[in-house]
Amino acid sequence: MPAPSEDVLLERKKLKVGVETVSNQQSTDFPGHWPGENHEWDLEYFKNSMRIEFHTEHASKLDLTFSLIGVDTSLANALRRILISEVPTLAIEDVFIYQNTSIIQDEVLAHRLGLVPLRGNRDAIRWLKWYQKDEDVPDHEPKSDENCVRLSLNMECRWKEGGLERAKQGVTDPDELYENHNVYARDFSFEPWERQTEKFGEDGVRSSHPDILVAKMRPGQHIELLMHAYKGIGQDHAKFSPVATATYRLLPTIDILRPIVGADAKKFARCFPKGVIKLDKVTPGDESAHPEECAGKEGEAKAVVDNPSMDTVSRECLRHPEFANKVKLGRMRDHFIFRVESTGQWDSDELFLESIRLLKVKAARIKRGLLKSAMNLA
Amino acid sequence: MSGYQPQTSQTADSSAIDIHSRAVSYTCGDCDGDVQLKRGEPIRCRNCGHRVLYKKRTNRMVQFEAR
Amino acid sequence: MASKPIIQGQEFPVVTPTSIKDIDEIPVTVDEDRVRVLPGAQKNAASFQFDGEDHTLGNALRYIIMKNPDVEFCGYSIPHPSEAKMNIRIQSYDDVDVCDILEKGLQDLMDMCDVVTEKFTIAREEFRSNQMQS
Repeated sequence: MPAPSEDVLLERKKLKVGVETVSNQQSTDFPGHWPGENHEWDLEYFKNSMRIEFHTEHASKLDLTFSLIGVDTSLANALRRILISEVPTLAIEDVFIYQNTSIIQDEVLAHRLGLVPLRGNRDAIRWLKWYQKDEDVPDHEPKSDENCVRLSLNMECRWKEGGLERAKQGVTDPDELYENHNVYARDFSFEPWERQTEKFGEDGVRSSHPDILVAKMRPGQHIELLMHAYKGIGQDHAKFSPVATATYRLLPTIDILRPIVGADAKKFARCFPKGVIKLDKVTPGDESAHPEECAGKEGEAKAVVDNPSMDTVSRECLRHPEFANKVKLGRMRDHFIFRVESTGQWDSDELFLESIRLLKVKAARIKRGLLKSAMNLA
Repeated sequence: MSGYQPQTSQTADSSAIDIHSRAVSYTCGDCDGDVQLKRGEPIRCRNCGHRVLYKKRTNRMVQFEAR
Repeated sequence: MASKPIIQGQEFPVVTPTSIKDIDEIPVTVDEDRVRVLPGAQKNAASFQFDGEDHTLGNALRYIIMKNPDVEFCGYSIPHPSEAKMNIRIQSYDDVDVCDILEKGLQDLMDMCDVVTEKFTIAREEFRSNQMQS
């Protein structure tokens, strides 16, 4: 049996988007699915067919988009899941409040502090170990410098010099009246102990977004607290997740089956976001190839697909009867447009590489654990 | 007649100011000043004479999980 | 540290791989204890149970095992959402040992990871050098 042509293979990979339905959703690249075709796992074939294309990277390296092409959904999804819930970061877990006379309640304040993203020296973060809660040891007892990072926050709101007088004159702008009336994430101070001073260096552990507003205060109010930050993973609590978003979407495809020309072309282009469809001119070649649509229309506008990756697959064009049989929408089932947005501890590219590493470690550990149980099987 | 009855006279014992007791710090409800009171002292701000005083929060540590 | 790390809120003794630089930092016995063969196994048909794994590994492993032509059936399930356990069922043709199939699947998955890492690194360097020029 002859091997399927490139066109056939491409068509198989297309998830078809109809007005109300999607079809051809499942992967079929398995042995036994297509008569006479192999589809066995082949590392060399995978090496040749799998591609990665970078699209954009923010100057901060915290926001990255790239395409992962030629892999199955199960792998793309595994990597996305690992990014969100299994790459560790540091987050505040215990808050010891000594004084809080602000209007924000203790437990709410503690919760807010927990959600502040932290960053510090990468090697030091890698060096940190898990902290295991021990029932026998009270929580405020020192842990180890290897698993606990301490931060403190001590803020007291006061009247500014002459603030009271200005208030009497009718000034209401808090910035002119009070000192320390906003508590920001940058007000945390790192309290290194033992080896942490050397490991974390001068920058210490700080919030990756120093402008996060934690609480507001008025004169006489006071917040004094100590925080313990541990290493954890997103599976335990979202505050440990290293990414703000890690998502993928499939590359949209737009196939124009018959030429769309003249006023219809402009209307067609308006059915899509800007940049998806561009307008070309009808050529004499089009006239002879599609006389029904193009005869005598040389030089008029013709709709051509420009950049399908910008499409949102809104299916707007399918609502218009004049386009109904002229266009086919779909998505490439093996083309994943990833977007990884880091919260600041790790660069997005590091995070993605780490997610692959962790998937490999998962597999390696199961493989290692298998040996004993394999013996038991009859 | 029921309800609150201000005590107009007290026995000599309880009205006496106990000089050995610890002073507790309050905040005046009017002038916001600090008022140190000992047991038996009249409940009154020394600065403005206001009779509503607020007890301060203790400095005792409270632990919370940031979740 | 001698203490046994545990993910908070989960009772199974899974040392999460995330803290380790090298897999050898975790005792092999930990992994041997979290892999088991479910009752009723035959040479050509068995269900395996992994503690502390979920759809992340389950689906990827299912895919790669289904790519094996000796496999008649492969599927995974998470029997209960609040128990961190993942079951994977493999049935093979021609009496091929399902343990070997599982092992090959895991190895293929690891190879796949290596390829993705390599391609990603190359694509990144290319992209960054192009960015520098423009």
